Amino acid sequence: MLTDVVVVGAGPAGLAAAVRLAEGGRRVRLIARGNGFTHWGPGAVDVLGRVGDKRVERPLDELAGLAADHPYRLVGVEALRDGLDWFRGFAAAAGLDHQGDPARNRYQVTALGTLRPTCLLPDPAAAELRGRLAVVGIARFRDFSAALCARGLERAGHTVTSATVELPSWSHRRSFTAVELARAFDDQDFRERLAPTLAKAAAGAEVAVVPAVLGLSRGHEPWADLQRRVGLPLVEAALAPPSVPGLRLFSAWRRRLDELGVGWQLGFPATAVERDGDRVVAVRCEGAARPVVVRCSEVVLATGGVAGHGIEANRDGSLSEVVAGLPVAGFPSRTGFVAGHFLAAHPMGAAGVTVDAELRPVGDDGAPLLANLRCVGGLLAGHDATVEGSREGVALATAARVAASSGATDRTDQVVPRA
Amino acid sequence: MTSLDTQVVVVGGGVTGVAVLRDLALRGVGAVLVERSDLGTGTSGRWHGLLHSGGRYAVRDEESARECIEENMVLRRIAPHTIEDLGGLFVLLPADDPSYAERFVAGCAASGIPVEELSPAQARRREPLLTNGIEAAYAVPDGGIDSWSLIRSMVADAEAHGARVLPRHPVVGFERDGDRLAAVRVRDQAGGEERLIGCEWVVNAAGAWAGRVGALAGVPIEMIPGKGVMVVMASRYVRGVVNACRKPADGDIVVPQHEVAILGTTSVQVEDPDDVTVDPAEVDRMIDMCAQMVPSLSGGRVLRAFAGSRPLYKPPQQAGETSGDTRAVSRTFTVLDHAERDGLANLFSIVGGKLTTCRQMAEKLVDQLGERMGVEVPCSTAEQVLPGAEHGSHRLAGPLAAVEQEQDYGTLLCECELVTTERVREAVAGGLVELEDLRRKLRLGFGPCQAAFCAWRAAAVVCELGGSGGLESEAGAQVAGGHAEPSGSPPVDQGGGPERDLLGGLARFLQERWRGQLASVWGDQARQALLNHAIYRGIFDLDAEHQDEASAWGSGGLDWGQHPRDDPGADSLQQASRAAVGHELVGDGDGRGEE
Repeated sequence: MLTDVVVVGAGPAGLAAAVRLAEGGRRVRLIARGNGFTHWGPGAVDVLGRVGDKRVERPLDELAGLAADHPYRLVGVEALRDGLDWFRGFAAAAGLDHQGDPARNRYQVTALGTLRPTCLLPDPAAAELRGRLAVVGIARFRDFSAALCARGLERAGHTVTSATVELPSWSHRRSFTAVELARAFDDQDFRERLAPTLAKAAAGAEVAVVPAVLGLSRGHEPWADLQRRVGLPLVEAALAPPSVPGLRLFSAWRRRLDELGVGWQLGFPATAVERDGDRVVAVRCEGAARPVVVRCSEVVLATGGVAGHGIEANRDGSLSEVVAGLPVAGFPSRTGFVAGHFLAAHPMGAAGVTVDAELRPVGDDGAPLLANLRCVGGLLAGHDATVEGSREGVALATAARVAASSGATDRTDQVVPRA
Repeated sequence: MTSLDTQVVVVGGGVTGVAVLRDLALRGVGAVLVERSDLGTGTSGRWHGLLHSGGRYAVRDEESARECIEENMVLRRIAPHTIEDLGGLFVLLPADDPSYAERFVAGCAASGIPVEELSPAQARRREPLLTNGIEAAYAVPDGGIDSWSLIRSMVADAEAHGARVLPRHPVVGFERDGDRLAAVRVRDQAGGEERLIGCEWVVNAAGAWAGRVGALAGVPIEMIPGKGVMVVMASRYVRGVVNACRKPADGDIVVPQHEVAILGTTSVQVEDPDDVTVDPAEVDRMIDMCAQMVPSLSGGRVLRAFAGSRPLYKPPQQAGETSGDTRAVSRTFTVLDHAERDGLANLFSIVGGKLTTCRQMAEKLVDQLGERMGVEVPCSTAEQVLPGAEHGSHRLAGPLAAVEQEQDYGTLLCECELVTTERVREAVAGGLVELEDLRRKLRLGFGPCQAAFCAWRAAAVVCELGGSGGLESEAGAQVAGGHAEPSGSPPVDQGGGPERDLLGGLARFLQERWRGQLASVWGDQARQALLNHAIYRGIFDLDAEHQDEASAWGSGGLDWGQHPRDDPGADSLQQASRAAVGHELVGDGDGRGEE
């Protein structure tokens, strides 16, 4: 099969880029080492949660104040809007409606009862926390403690009760993970049997906060059905990985890739590119049994930063981009990677590839190094997605830019208007 | 100020102090031990976990070698549950001096250390990851020993014989009456108040900090804190202990324990025993040197690095001969009778020594002290087995077998170290001041993920057991189909003090784990660190507010002077009059200390 574009990486940026390029008529192939941040994140769409130590209320108002090399500055606010609008349409079509507006951040409740700033929330996490809250946990589910969550919400000023419910009998009586639990919620009979207990546990509350496990493979329908039966809004709290909301979304991405005829292969880490002058002509990767070479006319690198395996942090303090050997600014010693305080910003979290407005990697002189390779998402320099809460926004905005100008990027004279 | 009276106050809650306490208690002497922090937080908690055969001293320090092999055999008898019978090899590499090997064998013979020469092929059958190029190998009865488990067992035995332990009671001064110390002044960190402990005798067993305690009593003791750096690898690599057969030097030992291997060590003189900072170059050196023996270490995943301070003592006659390398100072121990030495009638200090010989150190000291006190009961610590010994030797697979037997997978809070919810509940109910104490009690957070998943789960257990006013009872009244929280266990804090801040305690736990990683983050561990950051900061949104509470801990060495636990602050989980290190877990065989 002839491939126009190889997308490397299956996190939010790679998936969005692959789908959008395919929707634009390109023949796309997606290869990746493994699953990406969909599985690890809280299952929301962050755009900009923090600038420095300050929580951001209005993300769009803050973009102009970001550093000049920040991905948002490079692709512009219109690319961000386009990325978010497109995502909402894509998710809604998959039965995963999202609420929110980039003009104003919302807050997502977490298992610790903290409220993390984010932009778009899937419906099961989107209801407003108002009035009296009931936090309801599930007996023997170790990844959510109603008491701990309630304590945090109380600290944030809410009136809260907490309770833990026993599940109706099901196949995993002693031990279960979030994913197994979510699968159980896909079953209507299970929900029907649990609903009265849940309603009793949340009696007197206006909103119930529950762990984010209400269904795995039927979109938001199990949540909506359970909410109807219980009779009050149910809000899913974000848990530690693996992320059930992220898995719902990942299934939707996969279905869309299949619909579009995009070949996708996980477990194929890209290891190198083959070049012809300033063009990449093929991507090499490790297959299960032998090296695989994928020829192409264009490459989108969405391999992530140090966390995503797109950049290797070396013992001597240097940083290496792992696929194309792109330059990444390192440190004199590895102590430069980290901050003394765990919860502070770690410099290696912001490490990345410097690109031009077309997202092509550039050298010290600012000129593109490769005419037909572009970088998206966490691999980009100039931002720390964890610290500033921008991961999905940057992924969707940079994927939008790639989709908008694909096929024309080898024209070095092309001028793209910046917002 | 509250008062308490006893015969002997022991200062210092490391293995030495605890061994002294047990010895006194077994001889019927009333004794109270005071410790500035949690038990086993000084040198006893920051070492490689080697139960010495004595081989490391066989060539140059026969006295230490002899003490080691004697006590090695005693500990195997009285505390088998704290010991993993690893065995050890001394390997001679091509670059090493063959005559050292001859002197090593002769030294072992002279010191009574059983030694067996293996051919290179035999050695590699026993240790497949050894380098191809060894010249010879010698097998000795090295082992692994868990200092925290040993401490818990000795404390349990001492308490059963009437002794008392007061952790988190730093000594702030002594009340002097002529040429005697009449009382020890300590500060209760949980309550914030000072207590006076009236006593007839004082034993300074503060190890590397003995000089500081001496200064408070007005006697000069010159300690030479010898900092040793150790590196923790993410898997065991070796079946037994592997030593280089050469004059002790940097990076010449690999000790496997639990799921990790510890590489050791350096020996550098430092001014301050609290200086436990690690330089990245020291980590590199440890790896490069140990990789000469076990080459695959060089590409391995480093979990973290840490340092401890050896309690080396410089007798007055040696004063002046200082050199940077503290290996030249004898590793044997010395009992100082300050009556003869300084005219202070009722103070003894015990300095030097090593974990393997802690029991013998205590015996020698209490023999001398007992003679002065007129105690005629002989020492029985070498014969009386410790509580927990009935479980037999520690085996690597023991904890997994226990979990499998109980089919308890689902309640595992810490998958790396196989810690179940029930174990955390027991530990919390046994008295807990900081979430961080669970690390020493249960090994929580020691594994490859470095607390990515267990720390907040443990915080949840603490929260559930702790109660929080009307919160749960209100909910409990409403739930008929389910059950209310907490279930069964008593509330931890009955004092109704200031609202505890669990998220602050969680941030401190994470900061303690992080501190040990600062010099060793690269490769896979860099990804792990950023994943953990994405969980705690990204998902859970622990931020500057919680960081502030953690930051007082500092990012370098422990600074006890500014320690937030000095402040009777927001997160004391301590039960009013309960010792912080309970003995409810004795004999669990799952508490091997590594740092």
